[in-house]
Amino acid sequence: MSDYTIIGTRMPRVDSRAKVMGKAKFTADLKLPGMLVGKIKRSPYAHARILNIDTSKALALPGVKAVVTGKDTEGVKWGVFAYTRDQQFIQTEKVRYIGDEVAGVAAVDEETALKALDLIQVDYEELPAVFDPMEAMASQTELIHKDFPNNVNIHVNIDTGNVDENFEKAYYIREDTFVAPEESYFQAEPYAVVARFDPEDCLEVWCPNGGPHMKSKPLSNAFKIPLHKVKIKKIAIGGAFGGRSEICPADYICALLAKKTGKPVKIKFTREENTIGTRQGHAMITTHKTGVDKDGRVLARETTCYMDGGAYSSTGPIATSVPFLSMEQAYRMGSVRYNGYRIYTNKPIRGMIRVHGRGFACGLDTQLDMIADHLGIDPVEMRLRNSRQPGDYTSTKSYVGSCAMDETILKAVEKSGFKEKWGKLPPFHGIGIGTNSVQTGFPMGIRGGSQSFIKFNEDGEATVMSGVVDNGQGNDNMLVQIAAEELGLLPEDIHLVSADTETTSSDPGSYSQVSTFVGGHAVKIAAQNCREKLFEVAAKILKTNPEKLAAKNRLIFIKDDPEKYVPIKKVVRISLLNFNSVNAEGGYWPRVDMKREWVSNPYGQMCEAFSFGTTIVEVKVDPDTGQVEVLEVTAAQDVGYALNPLVLEGQFEGSVAMGGQGGMLTEYHEWKDGRCVNPTMLDYKLPLACDMPKINNIIVESIDPKGPYGAKEAGMSIAMSAAQGYSAAVSNAIGVFMDSFPLTPDKILAAIKKKNEKVSP
Amino acid sequence: MEKIKITLNINDKPCEVMVFPNDTLLEVLRDELDLTGSKESCSEGVCGSCTIQMDGKPVRSCLTLAMEAQGSRIRTVEGLASKDELSDLQQSFIDHGAVQCGFCTPGMLMTADALLNEIPNPDEETIKKTLAGNICRCTGYAKIIEAVAHAGNPREHCPDCKTDRNTRE
Repeated sequence: MSDYTIIGTRMPRVDSRAKVMGKAKFTADLKLPGMLVGKIKRSPYAHARILNIDTSKALALPGVKAVVTGKDTEGVKWGVFAYTRDQQFIQTEKVRYIGDEVAGVAAVDEETALKALDLIQVDYEELPAVFDPMEAMASQTELIHKDFPNNVNIHVNIDTGNVDENFEKAYYIREDTFVAPEESYFQAEPYAVVARFDPEDCLEVWCPNGGPHMKSKPLSNAFKIPLHKVKIKKIAIGGAFGGRSEICPADYICALLAKKTGKPVKIKFTREENTIGTRQGHAMITTHKTGVDKDGRVLARETTCYMDGGAYSSTGPIATSVPFLSMEQAYRMGSVRYNGYRIYTNKPIRGMIRVHGRGFACGLDTQLDMIADHLGIDPVEMRLRNSRQPGDYTSTKSYVGSCAMDETILKAVEKSGFKEKWGKLPPFHGIGIGTNSVQTGFPMGIRGGSQSFIKFNEDGEATVMSGVVDNGQGNDNMLVQIAAEELGLLPEDIHLVSADTETTSSDPGSYSQVSTFVGGHAVKIAAQNCREKLFEVAAKILKTNPEKLAAKNRLIFIKDDPEKYVPIKKVVRISLLNFNSVNAEGGYWPRVDMKREWVSNPYGQMCEAFSFGTTIVEVKVDPDTGQVEVLEVTAAQDVGYALNPLVLEGQFEGSVAMGGQGGMLTEYHEWKDGRCVNPTMLDYKLPLACDMPKINNIIVESIDPKGPYGAKEAGMSIAMSAAQGYSAAVSNAIGVFMDSFPLTPDKILAAIKKKNEKVSP
Repeated sequence: MEKIKITLNINDKPCEVMVFPNDTLLEVLRDELDLTGSKESCSEGVCGSCTIQMDGKPVRSCLTLAMEAQGSRIRTVEGLASKDELSDLQQSFIDHGAVQCGFCTPGMLMTADALLNEIPNPDEETIKKTLAGNICRCTGYAKIIEAVAHAGNPREHCPDCKTDRNTRE
């Protein structure tokens, strides 16, 4: 048993009290003196040239304080990488999707702002638009971005060599194509932003974010002001799921309106705007060709994926790579070739989402089941024969320090009764398994590490400063738990200052499962450094050596003689009286291969640790309606070390809901000529309480050699594997391997019909 | 349109407020009375984030006009705790990890509180059905359902029920 008293416990989250009392402030709740209402005018066309914008009538409307257009922006473009900077915050020449930003208004109230939007006259020349990635590549009409031939935004090519040779050695080869449309995040909180310039001309911004430092840099660039003058402030955030990691044009427009009016401005998105004007997942068409030996071991794989990238790029290279990486981390492959193409279309902007490509991941797992079926191997054995093992290198040369993938498979199999049920369930009753792996971070260059500061106050309590943001997943609590454990304090003795660019140091953000691994690690090191200083002083008081001391329960004591102790408060006060600092800092930078780059060099150490997940799903399908009833889900993940099982279980369950129940059964976007026809909660079907099955959570610990306390990440490989498990279970229930996701009743009925036609001549 | 003075009974206190006839109760609560615990998410009565209670019944405040609420006892999430003492349901949400991002939490609490006032010990099916009008994107609902089931009914086998709640500070 460990000696930890605070980490590893089911500690309720420190942020919950304010939230259950309705006191937690989200961005839309903010009210500042003199605050104006901001609104954004968006393009009604999918592809059009802007000929002229006349704002005079809007400006003349009483109550309108400012109107901004692309002319006010100096043409600044946004994109995470230098080579993906293709999106202006307000368009000047063309609009590229229905919803593209063309102007912004600030007015005394919402009604006036909306009226003003209608009074802005924009003359467009409509251009031919493309909505399908395959058509976009073949299109002879005007390119969406002129420097990108065939509308190909990104091409990622990975080739480990020997692919063709290994296909020749294969005993069995098959090639299958899988498709899935876009899905949306549907965060509970619609996007909102409040901005103002303070008396020192510093820009203050409150908005949901996946990392405050990811917001401050582009704003600093756009306004040409130093970073220390951009203050992204801490605020409660109503979910992100990958969708709030980067700057949103609304952030810039809001700040610009604040600058022009000299007043605070709030922009609050409608639910529809949150769907259209923030990011979505990518639609994908994925072909996997896999060659195996007689035992089902993968010798060679070739995967080609076409992604509907929408109108702009931004994180394009990452989005094009991560679906592949998740699978290359999960499974051993003798050799592999990957070609990922991200194609511009005249559809809304896309980014990272909790499940990186249903068509990709579910396709790969479905194909493994097809091969297993052909070879007479059961799906569990098939996965165990190809699963990642500790000490392996992935195909793209990342060392895997810890891996308990097999344990997640075996434990989930045992708990779900898979072996007893497989092949023995009645018709239209099925069970399926999915396995996956996600990374904890990737080379993020200058922002790859996190730093923390800790200061003790004279009452013996501490303030912890960290750049880590909490989107709702419990990062604040994670930081407090770690600090309290290391400092020997109780959680209530810690005051957390976080996610604020004025006071906290650079941090990668709540991005790519990196918060605990990097940000939590930094707090751990800072707290250890701080404790060391206290131990120096305490050792003198207790007349012993610092190495012999421990801290717990607000006391510093001699490990072998706990009766000899001194309260931490006293040590702090004596330190200060004796000219000793009681503050400390600490940082953590994962040792990744900084030469690794998404497109130019996709090889080398990606991150320091990978998590592994297995989800087993049991379903019943109604053959008359195509409705799926999910009976039970068993989710097992190698999390490294469970810092807080209560929080972890919540991440598992949320992942099953989003990746499996919603992601595989009901969630998808429908389009008509580039217009999203189901942008609201009424039309886009999210899982409800009454839809959810019983979920068995299994936490597997592999104690990662690099992670803080051995921890890796919480829940992402469940979201991914849940999607795969759902698809496998439905396929098993109806006896047809499904290749189009999500598995809506119409597709299920069509598959059953087709199968019956084949059987009865 | 002219603003009209109305009196609303909110969390057992009469509140005089000037409203437009087309103001929703949610707008008045949030913008005029600074009761921002009730949230706006879908604005069309689907997600339940704006749920408050009128005469003990859960109601969507985004679909209710402020004028309609005159004469009713209105309760918002801010009225669940008595001073700083949380209700059993609020405490249960905390203890069971039912709160993640917290945006849906106020609406969830108001729906569940109304249920518990009617049926003090509801079974799981009843809870699931009752909460079907409140969308949560983070939790997958399991911990919320558990928190409602165990609120005021601590279970011995549950690692998150604090059976010694009354003796805690």
